[in-house]
Amino acid sequence: MIEALRELARRLLAEERVRVVIGYGQSSPQGPVHPLFITRAEDAEQLVWNRQCFSNLTAYLTRKDVRALGPAAVVVKGCDERTITVLEKEAQLERERVFVVGMVCEGMGDPGLPKCQVCDRHRPRLADETLGEAVDREVPALERYAALEAFLARPAEQRMAYWQEELARCVKCYACRQVCPLCYCERCIVDKNRPAVIDTSATLKGNFAWHITRAFHLAGRCVACGECARVCPVGIDLTLLNQSLARAAEEAYGFRAGEDPRVEPLVGSWSPQDREDFIR
Amino acid sequence: MSHAIRKEALRALVGSWLAEGKRVAGPVAVGPGRVLYQPLVSPERLLLDGFIRTVNSIKAFVFPRHEELYAYRFRGRQVELIDAPLPEEEQIVIGARPCDAAALPVLDHVFRWGTPDRSYERRRELTTVVTLACREYDDHCFCTSLDSGPRDERGSDVLLVEIDEETYEVVWLTSKGKDLFVRHTERADRKGTIGTGPKRKFDAAALERFLAENFESPVWETFALRCLGCGACAYDCPTCHCFDIVDEGDRHGGMRVRNWDSCQFALFTLHASGHNPRTAQAQRIRQRIYHKFRIYPDKFGDTLCTGCGNCSRGCPVHLGIRPVLEAISALERKPQSAPPKTP
Repeated sequence: MIEALRELARRLLAEERVRVVIGYGQSSPQGPVHPLFITRAEDAEQLVWNRQCFSNLTAYLTRKDVRALGPAAVVVKGCDERTITVLEKEAQLERERVFVVGMVCEGMGDPGLPKCQVCDRHRPRLADETLGEAVDREVPALERYAALEAFLARPAEQRMAYWQEELARCVKCYACRQVCPLCYCERCIVDKNRPAVIDTSATLKGNFAWHITRAFHLAGRCVACGECARVCPVGIDLTLLNQSLARAAEEAYGFRAGEDPRVEPLVGSWSPQDREDFIR
Repeated sequence: MSHAIRKEALRALVGSWLAEGKRVAGPVAVGPGRVLYQPLVSPERLLLDGFIRTVNSIKAFVFPRHEELYAYRFRGRQVELIDAPLPEEEQIVIGARPCDAAALPVLDHVFRWGTPDRSYERRRELTTVVTLACREYDDHCFCTSLDSGPRDERGSDVLLVEIDEETYEVVWLTSKGKDLFVRHTERADRKGTIGTGPKRKFDAAALERFLAENFESPVWETFALRCLGCGACAYDCPTCHCFDIVDEGDRHGGMRVRNWDSCQFALFTLHASGHNPRTAQAQRIRQRIYHKFRIYPDKFGDTLCTGCGNCSRGCPVHLGIRPVLEAISALERKPQSAPPKTP
């Protein structure tokens, strides 16, 4: 698969179909895998593919300095490609300017990340070219939300105590926001200071305000790539927050963000059949 | 002859400090493979081995991420100012790494420069640092490249050096440190020994030469595309000390507070006029390196980095100081070579 990937990258760059290939690299065979930007066909051999390719590289597609390079190819896993659908639906990228390289994925990490344990998209469906062979496994909704269910089964006071303990550690480094492909706002609400809307202080109040606001802004948009939780230096499981809103969207509207490019986004579309009357 | 304490006696001593009502902080596991300096609630949670470094640094105990400077209250057309109380509680940080403790004298330069910072000063006086010399290192450690090492004594009040699996040698370096341990150690005829530290990863002299001449260099672009622009590197760093001062309140009054800030945020240099002198991530990465290895040394004669490697360890995309300095080192070795590898 690595060779096929390198060959594809070489071809895309040599034929000038793209100006940059966003993939994974590794500075040494034992070293950590990191995002890599290939702009010359002869550098394609630096690309790697293994079980350490955690990053959701679609986060780079909306960045000004990456866009400035020209049309891009991006290497995605099944979980990552959902963000491309959301970005396209939200008019953040022109799908035809991006060449999506789908990688069949058996899970990242060893043992796999929690999201990989319940993954139902080992094989990307929307890529321009997909490398590798595997069969998808259907995961019933319940299983996908099992961790959330277990958490919600705890009494409210315990859940509040949990969040107070977890969010007390947040230092507001904003790694969660910066790594998120869907946190593409040019000026995040927490950075607005005329007037300030959310306390910038990393106090319990400021941290609750920040994480709750972010979760709400991702409602019906978060694709559960889990990058926010993976990169959090202090180990806060932010996926619990996002998942509770994702589950609400799935239960109430049968909607899963990024799942189907033909379906209009949940927040950004309406239907006269809606059971609430305010819409009519 | 040296002073020694058995590990279980040390834990009991920590328990007695807690029982006396002292504030004690040390490494605590908060999740699989994740250790943070946290206030201790019980001596059992204190983690003294089995990990390389904590994710965060001990700077938070002298320079908290959020600090109230004073309150203001509107009274008709008058504004009443109320000073925030200065810290009063003594605190002990136990199990600090030498690269954490060594950052304290580095921070002192800036907080004691000009008008001394009263709350920093007070916290420094109230804090006793008990450091544990390092026996293990990882690929991110580079203290030895900066003339430091696994038993650097700077900034520590006590240095613990492992003698064997059950015992630490206790080296007190200040009277504050001695007071904590003096009645709790036993005589030992062995001293603690440790290795020489991680291998040198770059040449500090070459770095100095490079920075003198390469404010404009393609090397600053090398990692800019990859960098996400978050503040994890700065916030996990024992020496980074930039802060933002903001007012938080409502129409009745509020609080002027000081919060950590990071030069890697686009907002960091945004002027009120809308002008931003550092518009690109490459400029922000360059700033971080220059501040640490040229601006600070020029001003204070000290490096704004202790080689702890936390900036790389905590980086979502595995950047941080070391990869940049290694790239510079490589350029200095081969001045005629091609531009650096694609980031």
